[in-house]
Formats: sequence, structure tokens, C-alpha cells
Amino acid sequence: MSNDLKPHMAIVKDITIENSNTKTYVLEFADKQQHKNFTWDPGQFMMLSLFGVGEAALSISNIPEDGLISTTIRAVGNVTKKIKELKKGDTLGMRGPYGTGWPIKEAKGKNILLIAGGMGLAPLRGVINHIAIKRNNFGHLEIIYGARTPNDMIFTNQFRDWYQIEKSRLDLTVDGIPPGTPWEGKIGLVTSCFPAMKTRPQNSVALVCGPEVMMRFVAKCLETIGFKENQIFLSLERRMKCGIGKCGHCQLGPKYVCKDGPVFPYRDIKPYINPL
Amino acid sequence: MGNEKAFTIEKNDFGRLLEHLLKKYRVFGPTQRGLDATFNEIKTNDQLFLDYVSTVLPPKKFFHPPRLELFSFDLHQKHVKIEEIKQDEKTLLLGIHPCDVHALLRLDDFFLGEFQDPYYQNRRKNTVLVALNCIEPSDYAFCNSMGTGPFLEEGYDLLLTDIGTKYLIEIGSDTGQNILKGIQLENATTADFTEKNHRFKLLEKRFKRFINTSWLSKIAQENIDHEVWERLGEQGGVSGSLPCLSCGQCSLVCPTCYCYDVYDTLDLSLKKGKRIRELDSCQLLEYGEVAQGGNFRPNRKDRIRHWMLCKLGVAAGGQQSSCVGCGRCIRTCPVGIDITEVAKVLRGE
Repeated sequence: MSNDLKPHMAIVKDITIENSNTKTYVLEFADKQQHKNFTWDPGQFMMLSLFGVGEAALSISNIPEDGLISTTIRAVGNVTKKIKELKKGDTLGMRGPYGTGWPIKEAKGKNILLIAGGMGLAPLRGVINHIAIKRNNFGHLEIIYGARTPNDMIFTNQFRDWYQIEKSRLDLTVDGIPPGTPWEGKIGLVTSCFPAMKTRPQNSVALVCGPEVMMRFVAKCLETIGFKENQIFLSLERRMKCGIGKCGHCQLGPKYVCKDGPVFPYRDIKPYINPL
Repeated sequence: MGNEKAFTIEKNDFGRLLEHLLKKYRVFGPTQRGLDATFNEIKTNDQLFLDYVSTVLPPKKFFHPPRLELFSFDLHQKHVKIEEIKQDEKTLLLGIHPCDVHALLRLDDFFLGEFQDPYYQNRRKNTVLVALNCIEPSDYAFCNSMGTGPFLEEGYDLLLTDIGTKYLIEIGSDTGQNILKGIQLENATTADFTEKNHRFKLLEKRFKRFINTSWLSKIAQENIDHEVWERLGEQGGVSGSLPCLSCGQCSLVCPTCYCYDVYDTLDLSLKKGKRIRELDSCQLLEYGEVAQGGNFRPNRKDRIRHWMLCKLGVAAGGQQSSCVGCGRCIRTCPVGIDITEVAKVLRGE
């Protein structure tokens, strides 16, 4: 039988530097057949291995062109710090994709509100690109993105393209600005962008990803302005060890974040993230 | 179960059956270690301790080992060579109690459902279960309340019952039937089954611990804000226990706790290594860690609540990781936490 826990070799095809601590890696399975068969949904994740260091769950951050998988990684843990040292042409272990992604099908025809904090923009980039390509399938697109400082933002070189997307609005905010850093956007938490928000609850869905504390507040604020629990989707972070609902680490009440999520309707997880 | 499929063997003749089994299998069974019983390899009849009450660790250790090597890797080439580490030995587990068989049936559902675990599957497929009905309930057991003991109805290849001077041997599978080929055994009589039933009735009365399972999962699920969790985790304790120490022993001895951690090791060359998985516990602080020092269960209260809810069948593992009433966690808990008492408090009794 197949062994889901055994990684396959992958090659680093390209690296883009996003900020001082974050890079986007374009990866390809070494096995041509596997590379050809690869399909995924935005919001799903991969398990990446550096043998001798360990394995980590990392979200897919772009639509693969010719099956190439992009993942955007901030060097904060054992594995990700080692990944940072990888160069073009280097190899690593990869398996996936795993999990349940964003509800792209259900969102068809609706207005899309994307709210991201920090690295939380990574799993949402696939959604933005998908909407940009199939623009007529969706209503108004609004992106609210916040980070601690301008230097912590990712995909900054794509903002210009996103501003050009028809019927869309991009709003940027930072918690603070280090001295000498140029910044023309807002200052404040992502929720401070809400008063200027164009999206109204009717016929809309909100896709949210960021630190859990941010998502709790965002979800609450969205509820206050009339979004229903089943119109809000959150993508959660846990330190998964298997990715397939066996190691237990990502349990959230009666759900596994790796299998049932990482994207959940707010309705399903509200009791488990709010009081805790 | 018809008499025609059952046999008996005199207790003082049991060595003959063991020898027969040893011809085909590596046999593991209960042995006495000090005041405790543990599952170990059995080579001769005198090592066997079939009158045991409970073992320290459940037989989970044979199927989902505390530490397991998943695969080896060789970093000499850029295209890393990965080789799965397999275990294909035929083994036989002798004298496994009903609660532990039920625990295995639940782990079967867990590990062999969606995303099959090849390591568990291999071990399970290669292991014959010769179960043994209980002789006496342990002071901590409440399997009778959970419907998982003290006698077994399903999940065995062969089933032994102590009926005085003899063991009644019942067949539960084709494998069980085949194992008995080539050994001379007495056919079981109606009297043997009468004795079995009689012993079951006596045994049922000797339990000291009970749990009322009616609607218990639902009650637990609706009480995630109950004050009992604060008492269990931080201050007060429940029914004479002290608050939880977060030592994780309950998970280690639990026959349905499946959680594991995964890490890599390297040998001295730094070129060859292995990926290891090791039993983990939701009681340990590190379990809920995420990037940048975050932790989703920073308090003992959160952790003990999670464990209790899991054992009451309302965590992500559902019934597959729920309690079978073996009582090992109660016995091992250094501060005396008792899941049956927690259930009473949740119920408002």
C-alpha cells in the first residue's frame, strides 16, 4: 500500500525574496509523472522535509503554472530556518497537498472580501490570482492586508497588479513604522480599515487568514456589521506532524485542522476559538 | 456461538498449546514483573502469567509502538534515498484482555480508515489475537460500564476463558480455526459454556468503579465551560484528587491514545539518518506549540480538559480514541485523577 508519510523528492526551481526573513520558493516534484498529476485548491498545504532537520506544514501560495508549486516561508522554526539556506537547484522532501482549501466554488458570483494579517496573505494569494484570471465569475473583490511594519509585508511587488484588477479595492495597514521607513498606507490594526470597507454582507463571503487573535477580532467585527457565521471563512495554523489526521497535534474541538481545515467556516469552529 | 467450534484444554496441559503456537509465531503474552504484569516475548510456558489483572502498558505498544522508525534516508546523493523500514514478522498476542481488544478495534477504525497508516496496518495484519476473558476486574476497571468487558464478544481469532481447571477455547476467525489445526483438543461441552456464563455473572458483580455512559458524550460536549476543568487543571481537584501535573502518564498508558510526534535523527556521519515517530501526549506543554512561541493549550486546564473530552469521545478522534474502561489512567495518575469521578461531576451527581 502507499505510504502517505513518505516524502517525495522535489527541486527548488526558483526563489523570490519577499522581505528580510521571508522567501517564496517555486518547487517541482522530481518525478515527472507526479508533477503532471499534481492538482490542488488554494488554501491547501504541503508537508516539506529537510532530512535530518524535520518536516513542516506550509501553505501553497500560488496557482502552479505547469504544476509548479509556490510556497512562501518565513524562517522562524527549525525547518524553515534551514529552508532559508536552500539555493536554486537544491532538493528537499515534499508530500501533499493536504487539507480543505478556500470555498472557491461556493464563492462564485459573490463579492469577495479578503482579510489577511502578516504571513496570512500567503494562502490567500492563490485566491486573488484565481479571481484575477476568472474575473467575471466573481463580484467585487476587496483585499485588506495588515502587517506589523511595512518591512514585514509579503508580495509587495504584486500590489501594483492587484490595484489594476477590475472592480477591486486594496487597503493596506501596518501596526507601526520603524524610523526611516517610507509608508503611505494606513496605521492601525486590520479592523481599523473596516469603516472604509466597501463590501457589504449581502451576497458576500469573507476569507480571513492571519494570527488567530487577529482572526477572532475580525470575525467578531464582521458579525457585528451583519456577516453571518457561514459567510466567514478562517484558515487556522497548527504545528502538524503528519498532515493526515493521525498525529493529533492540530485537534480543535471535534475537528482536525489538517484534514477538516485548515479553512473552516467560522460557524464550525466558533466555540473552540473564542473562549480559548 | 456453537459448541462445535469450541474446545477445552486442561490448565496443566497449556504448555502443549503454547508449543504448538510457538512453531508458527513469535508469541507475546503477559509476564509477571515485580508486582506488575507486562506483555513480553514468551518462549516457555513458565514465563506466562495468564492470571494477571491488568498490564502497566496496553498492547498498543505492539501496533503503535512508543518509538517507531518510519524510514531511513541517505543524504550522499542530491536525490535523497528514502527507504521505508518495514516489520513483516508473524506474531501472536496471547492473553489480551477484552478491553484491550476493544481498544485495538477502535485503533483499527482510526488508523485504517481514511489515510491508512501502513505501519499500523502491517503490524495488525501480521498479528494473531488470542484473547483471554478476565478472571477478576482490577480495582480501577469499569469496562463493564463501557460495554468492553469483562468478557469478549468480537475481535478475536481465539478466545480463552478460565473455567476452573480448564480453559475454554472459542474460535472467532478463519485464522483462529487454522491455528488449531494439528493439535489434539477436547471438544467443549454445554457444561463448559454454562460454567463460562456462571463466571461472567459472578464477575460482573465485582466491579468497584462505574460510569453512567448515557448521553455522556453529549453532556461533556456541552460543558466545555464547566467549573470542573478549573478544579482539575488548576485548583481544587475532583473527589479527593489534586490538580493535574500535566505529566502525560495517562496518555502513555491509555490503550486508545494515538497522538504522536515526528522527528529526524542523524548518525555521526551526518549523512545518514532516520525519521522517527514517538508517542506524544496532549498533556505536555509542547504539544500545542506553533511558530514563534505560540501555544494553543498553554494552561493545564486546557490540556486536561482536552484529554478528558477525547476519552469521552468528543475530540477529533471521536469514538475511535474514546475510553474502554481499562482503568490504567486512574491507577497511574500520581495525583489521583479519576475519569469516573469527573464524569459524575459533569453529570451533576
